[in-house]
Amino acid sequence: MIRLDNVSKTYYLGDEQVHAVDSVSLEIKDKQFVSILGSSGSGKSTLMYLVGLLERPTAGKIILDGKDISKLSDDELSKIRNRSVGFVFQSFNLISKYTVLENILLPTKYAKSKLDFNPMDRALKLCKDFGIYERRNFFPNKISGGQQQRAAIARALILSPKIILADEPTGNLDSKTGDEILSILERLNKDFGVTVILVTHEKEIARKTKRQIYIRDGRVVQKYL
Amino acid sequence: MIEILDLARSAFADFKRSKMRSFLTALGITIGVFSVVLLISLGLGLKNYIEQQFESLGANLILIFPGSGFTGQGFGQGLIGGAKFDERDYATLKRVQDVDLISPLFMKSTFAEAEGEKAQITLMGLDIDSFKLMNVELVAGELLKKSDIDSRSKKIVIGYSLAENLFKEPEKGLGASIIIEKQRYKVVGVAKKKGDREADNGVFMSYKTTFSSLNSDKTFFAIYLGTKSEENVESVKKGAETALLKRYDKDDFTVSEQAELLGTFNQIFTVINSILIAIASISLIVGGIGIMNIMYATVTERTKEIGIRRAVGATERDILVQFLSESVILSSLGGILGLALAAGMVLIIRIFFPASMNLLSIIVALGISCVIGIFFGVFPARRAAKLPPIEAIRYE
Repeated sequence: MIRLDNVSKTYYLGDEQVHAVDSVSLEIKDKQFVSILGSSGSGKSTLMYLVGLLERPTAGKIILDGKDISKLSDDELSKIRNRSVGFVFQSFNLISKYTVLENILLPTKYAKSKLDFNPMDRALKLCKDFGIYERRNFFPNKISGGQQQRAAIARALILSPKIILADEPTGNLDSKTGDEILSILERLNKDFGVTVILVTHEKEIARKTKRQIYIRDGRVVQKYL
Repeated sequence: MIEILDLARSAFADFKRSKMRSFLTALGITIGVFSVVLLISLGLGLKNYIEQQFESLGANLILIFPGSGFTGQGFGQGLIGGAKFDERDYATLKRVQDVDLISPLFMKSTFAEAEGEKAQITLMGLDIDSFKLMNVELVAGELLKKSDIDSRSKKIVIGYSLAENLFKEPEKGLGASIIIEKQRYKVVGVAKKKGDREADNGVFMSYKTTFSSLNSDKTFFAIYLGTKSEENVESVKKGAETALLKRYDKDDFTVSEQAELLGTFNQIFTVINSILIAIASISLIVGGIGIMNIMYATVTERTKEIGIRRAVGATERDILVQFLSESVILSSLGGILGLALAAGMVLIIRIFFPASMNLLSIIVALGISCVIGIFFGVFPARRAAKLPPIEAIRYE
């Protein structure tokens, strides 16, 4: 379970204060399929990165599984990011000098404790599951956007995280490929019980999730349970 | 902890992507290591060369002079006052432990005549060990024998320049007669040129022969001792001193050693060499700055990659180690290349000069290039590690 208590994130652009996230309190239960909906600049991505521990709040508390993570060290945050959170980005964010397979294996290189499975076996299985097995030794720029996004999802899943955070995962894809990616995320939630948090500015995409959180100017304006 | 192999692979993938840039960056270190290693090798070579020169004079040579003022510059002071060594001292010193070679030396500056030519000579009365102690070798004829010494024979060995002056062709002097202070002597050997004016214009004869008229008070200018092993030099010096103190005061004689002179030379050259190496080290620092510069550029170029790695769980330390290992690998490769080039150069130089490379210079070269990689890599690597993950991942 993820709980945010009065979480704020303030940036400084020169002298100007920007309240990207402003006193947000919300709760996302395990195994939920949630979307964070808002227009560009609404603070929805910042909110997602706060939940994904890539960002520290300026004020407020973030509680993950009953543990206040706002005070953890970089090492501890990195460990949780590594084992419990998987990111999927709009621009895929695969490392261009690595092959698909190497990209999928990347999180396992940073696992600080011994893994109870063979990383290579799991990576190959994920390749098969997502239909990119034939492309596993290709570099990212040699495969299609849909294939890149599926490789990115495989990378997010390799350490079996509890939470998947997807930031506009269909933004760079055509609608058909986008739908495929959404159904993969849906299946992850339904069949494997992964908490999926989907960040989008499109209402139609948000409608596919069971719960939507609307963000405007860094504040939650409406929420459904 | 990300494995070393992964780090190296990642580093090489990046070097491959910008081959020319990586090569030029490493080249700075290559040039630095090359010049430092080469200078160390030349310094070692010079040391070898000087030692060889001294060995040609006879290694482990101990010189005993009268007086206390011997400075190694001249013999003048030594001749004023002090002991007058004679056969009794010679016999005493022969009994000192570990003395393997010994000879008295009588020296006199006088004139020699032969075939109508007259020349100034350094007359030397000595024992047979002298030839070994002073490394006298012959171009013609033979050395004096023990029997020649004891029988006060009139046989002599003459220096190369003297033979040239008197007989035009040195070999022709063999068997000739030379008149010195109205006495006639027979040349049985002509020495090789030594480059030492006194020896090359020298006339070597039995010290006992000089006793008749040339050296009527039967004293010696010096006594030379030699020992086979360098380790014995100190004990022989002590032994000689103890032996002579029974007859003379401390100030009446000086026991000196060639190694002391050698040591002074070595000291001077070590200082010069160190200064040169220090100057060459500046190029290593310049090379290091080159690495730092490129690493900063690399960190900026790879900001996105850093963000991705952070997102999938890399700690600040992981990123630091990654970039640090890249700069160390780059700088070490440069160092290895510089070392190889220096080794090649040393092989060429060895044809005419005894330059040499030792294990120390190899360790120093590799160690220094590693240290430079760490020192100049740590700042860019720290910047990479401290990048806020969120900014890094949004960087385009």
